[in-house]
Amino acid sequence: MTSYTPFSYVVINLARLIRPSEVTFSGVNSTLPMLACLVAKRAYDFNFTWLNVAGGVDAELAGPVPLSSGDAALTAGSRSIFANEDFYDLCTRGGMDLCFLGASQIDGTGATNNSVIGDWDTPKVRLPGGGGSAVMMPTLKRAATWRTEHSTRTLVDKLFFQTAKGNLQSVVTPMCVFDKREGRLAVASYHPDVTLDEIRAATGFETDISQAQPTPEPTEAELAALRSLDPDGTFEADAAIRMPEVAA
Amino acid sequence: MTASEKLTTLEEMVAAIPNGASIGLGGSFLHRGPFAFVRELIRQGKRDLEIIKASPGYDIDILCRAGCVSRVRAGIVAMEGNFGLAGGYRKAIESGAVKLEEHACMTLTAGLRAAGAGVPFMPVGGVHGSQIAEVSGWKKIADPYGSGEEVWLIPAIRPDFAVIHAHAVDRDGNARVEGSPHWDRAMTRAARKVLVTAETLARPESFAERPELTLVPGFMTAAAVHVPQGAWPGSLAPVYDVNYEAAARYVEESADGSIAEHMAAAPEARQEEPA
Repeated sequence: MTSYTPFSYVVINLARLIRPSEVTFSGVNSTLPMLACLVAKRAYDFNFTWLNVAGGVDAELAGPVPLSSGDAALTAGSRSIFANEDFYDLCTRGGMDLCFLGASQIDGTGATNNSVIGDWDTPKVRLPGGGGSAVMMPTLKRAATWRTEHSTRTLVDKLFFQTAKGNLQSVVTPMCVFDKREGRLAVASYHPDVTLDEIRAATGFETDISQAQPTPEPTEAELAALRSLDPDGTFEADAAIRMPEVAA
Repeated sequence: MTASEKLTTLEEMVAAIPNGASIGLGGSFLHRGPFAFVRELIRQGKRDLEIIKASPGYDIDILCRAGCVSRVRAGIVAMEGNFGLAGGYRKAIESGAVKLEEHACMTLTAGLRAAGAGVPFMPVGGVHGSQIAEVSGWKKIADPYGSGEEVWLIPAIRPDFAVIHAHAVDRDGNARVEGSPHWDRAMTRAARKVLVTAETLARPESFAERPELTLVPGFMTAAAVHVPQGAWPGSLAPVYDVNYEAAARYVEESADGSIAEHMAAAPEARQEEPA
């Protein structure tokens, strides 16, 4: 029996992408990466620089975690304000190591669509848009994205529209963690309760599973950090992450 | 001491905006947006506006629902918090009622920086591989100095008005912002006219004490107005947080096709009522 819930699986495995001494950024509309950065700050025994879209630099939250990942609460304890133009310029001049960037659809090469379902000119659904991803994705060192729904609608062979393309290295879903190898997203590790066949069936692009391993269980420190950030389970309930229904 | 030439009322400030104007709005998502100004645009029945903002949400959504907008330039649009997509905006784009020029946040700011610097375009990093360049009609050039690098160029974006909500303004239009300026610096340098709504009216001496906190110097401000709770239902940190209850009620009520209750509940509407 795993100690992961679908929610803790996504947040903790996003946190595990953060590396010592690097510059890491979390943006707008990015609740789970915000939590992942805070988990890493509390659970891991190393330093990294956490920039966020509210302008915070290594913020140390005094009170509860804000619902909005762009809230000025994320500048608490910050000793500088590093605002939008600054962090974009930092990124395009090569100073951003890891950025968490959202995506509605992801293809097997790690290109992303945040713009439309259907044609761009006459969309069936107008999506929010890519935010900074078209500028950041080609200029940062590594991007990571997440999907709360692992399905053939979100992980696709062909995007409706290519909002951004570049250095997307990692994708975390409730089922698995993808890592880009030789230009393609391959399954690096998978949730202990799912099988590789189930992952393949729920994934719309061809993916290499030859090196996939079960994802290591969460540590006590990771779980404790996440509990401290979401003590009453509000974020977990809002995220409403479920495993895909798989045929028995 | 001369009388203020900058201070006005919200009604007069908005009355000077013609139909068809392009308006850059300050703030980001639910944070420090000039939302009382936005609601006054609706009360005065403005039409055919172009809204320019990297990350609009509540503002573009309610303006779309009220039929005030025909064009928008934006990078990411959502209600944020935990409210998801902006339904009024989404419907307006899908029906063709509002035309979108899609951006990548920093590309919008590159266009504003071009206007602010008085040049016809501005290079921007990245964009390679994005189809936004095609649909928005951008061009790229090879580095004329021979590095071999290709760079995308964004045409200047010059809004008729930039409107920001500041923490404080003085009688001469000096505007102070605490915390992140979001995109307001580039926005206020790019626009033909800068309009400031402000949470408090402060003494000119307080600006002289800490001039580096002034985001917009008074000579650049065309008009200013004191609007307490001007970012409602959004936040103005550290003075007030997002009013999630009011924002949730807006999302529910507007999805049912009406914004009347929300408009009546706004702080600036309630202040107008006789005591």
